[in-house]
Amino acid sequence: MYKFMDRLARLFAILGGIVLSILIVQTCLSIIGRSISTILHSDLIETTFPTVSQTLLSTGVGPINGAFELVEAGMAFVIFAFLPLCQLAGAHASVDIFTSKLPNKANAILRTLIEIVFAFVIVVIAWELSQGMLSKQRTGQTTFILEFPVWWPYALSLVAAVASAIVAVYVAMMRVLELVSGRQILPAELEAEH
Amino acid sequence: MSDITIGLLSFPALLVLIFLRVPIGLAMFLGGLVGLFVLTGDSTLAFARLKSETFTTFSSYSLSIIPMFLLMGHFATLGGMSQALFKAAESFLGHRKGGVAMAAVGACAGFGAICGSSLATAATMSRVALPELRRYGYSGGFSTATLAAGGTLGILIPPSIVLVIYAILTEQNIAKLFLAAFIPGILAAIGYMITISIYVRINPASAGTRPRVPYSERIKALLAVWPVLLVFAAVVGGIYQGWFTPTEGAAVGAFGTGLIAFLGGGLTRATLSESFFVTARSTAMIFFIVLGAAFYNGFLALTQLPQEAAAWVGGSGLSPWTVLIIILVFYLLLGCLMDSLSMILLTIPIFWPIVQELDFNLVSMVDLQSARLAEMIEDGKEIPAALLAEAQTMLANGQELTREMTREMKLRGVTEGALNRVNIERIAIWFGILVLIVVEVGLITPPVGMNLFVINAMDRKTPMVETYKAVLYFVGSDLVRVALLVAFPLITLILLPI
Repeated sequence: MYKFMDRLARLFAILGGIVLSILIVQTCLSIIGRSISTILHSDLIETTFPTVSQTLLSTGVGPINGAFELVEAGMAFVIFAFLPLCQLAGAHASVDIFTSKLPNKANAILRTLIEIVFAFVIVVIAWELSQGMLSKQRTGQTTFILEFPVWWPYALSLVAAVASAIVAVYVAMMRVLELVSGRQILPAELEAEH
Repeated sequence: MSDITIGLLSFPALLVLIFLRVPIGLAMFLGGLVGLFVLTGDSTLAFARLKSETFTTFSSYSLSIIPMFLLMGHFATLGGMSQALFKAAESFLGHRKGGVAMAAVGACAGFGAICGSSLATAATMSRVALPELRRYGYSGGFSTATLAAGGTLGILIPPSIVLVIYAILTEQNIAKLFLAAFIPGILAAIGYMITISIYVRINPASAGTRPRVPYSERIKALLAVWPVLLVFAAVVGGIYQGWFTPTEGAAVGAFGTGLIAFLGGGLTRATLSESFFVTARSTAMIFFIVLGAAFYNGFLALTQLPQEAAAWVGGSGLSPWTVLIIILVFYLLLGCLMDSLSMILLTIPIFWPIVQELDFNLVSMVDLQSARLAEMIEDGKEIPAALLAEAQTMLANGQELTREMTREMKLRGVTEGALNRVNIERIAIWFGILVLIVVEVGLITPPVGMNLFVINAMDRKTPMVETYKAVLYFVGSDLVRVALLVAFPLITLILLPI
């Protein structure tokens, strides 16, 4: 079971990474297009090479239209896709200076409680996201420049949010099981990254 | 119970949760949700906010800079840039007394220029520099302390993730904040190098010697650093020059470092996946904190607590400097316990309205009029010669121009309102840099500073106490710098035109 969850989390992290990379490349292309178009529009080029400038500009060289809308839409998926791995690795920033003085048992109980609440919160987030998506679908709202329906990126994010919820619930259940059975199921906590 | 009381009570409640090891983002999220429920008595409202708010937070264009910068930092490491930086710094400084440690600080500063996080900088440079330090006989505690301190340069020298968050919270220009962090960052690096030379004079046994490197090799090492310079110049220069937005700059940086890593053979399928995993963990962690903070701060704003606090401080008769110092001390203490990002998200919504109202008089009307007049002259606007001469003499003598004069000269942007805006912007930038530094000092303050643990864990043979002893020198140097920056706001602000 852990293997499956680990694979799921890594799969989503890689998907998120790929989308992030695409957004990065797209942003760079947009900058290059914008620079070329600025140069072609400059007085010097327009007066010395009018035909060259005209021909090149007519090919549609320029910034990518609505590039930032794509970044925003894609980024929501990226962040949701990154969440399962963070959840599974227990990589959320926390302050453990005070609890480190508590006995092991108390810490185990505390950790289990926290994971249960966390799982609940992520399930709620995924659920409300689906409600948000449905309402965007109903109103038929589209983005400003590219005019694609706003619910599309919501739907993409929802897939990743559901994966996060599955992983979060799994982690919480395993912590409960660990507490009850007294044996270790999840690998020992990774060194927290703050 | 009044709204203000609820707001006030939420603070200790939140701290209790955080100290019980509830992840900081989750604690703030719960605080906001429960607070909103208590305040309005309506649970549907609290949940309804979730419908779109999670999505809009995660899809924020300005915040998308964060995963890009994180990825850029990993690519930089894969491209061997940390290695190259340390080699170059070592070949120039290594033969001096304490020189290898100075080189480590220099390399941290250089790496900070392409990496926006202090822990990542400290961890990356430790991998490269710790073995070298030990090889040349530097003592364990001195080595780990140097790297822990050097790591804090990562967040100060732009680009910096925490500054991005601060800029969004206070609605300031990211490019200006980056620029303002520059001189304090360089000062920090110089301060640490001075600290090192003092340390090795007091403890001569703590550092060995290293032979001098011939100049031909130094030049070769220096040439290997050009990718770092190129990326830094493109990202920070481009953002500041207005060629692209900060987010676009981050994309250029990530692409550039990725390309360098790929060409150098450091970027393979395995290392690429690994960078995605590391980026995923840190990104999700940061965004969850941002989400929690958005919820908590939304609730706080509803209680009117920030405005009330600002009004109370304003009417308390405390001098602005006293208030500033109290806030900085608070940050120093809390900085020992919490990471800088969480702290900024948690506290700036309360402190910024207070600080905004403080009258530090960073820019006077005379300064503003001089600056605008200089702009007019630079733009080649026509001003009657006699009038101009009179105005310049008045300004040079510290006299304000009269309204008739500014009207006659068509001098714009010199109203009381404009002066107020300029002052608030400068306070925001100066305060942001100060807070950033103080929080980072917390990160290396014994016994709880987080950077200390991370670096110490990389060198198991060195007892924690040794690191503690040595790092106090660096903390001392930090405090001197903070005092300087508080006393002379111009050090931070000089690069920014009025």
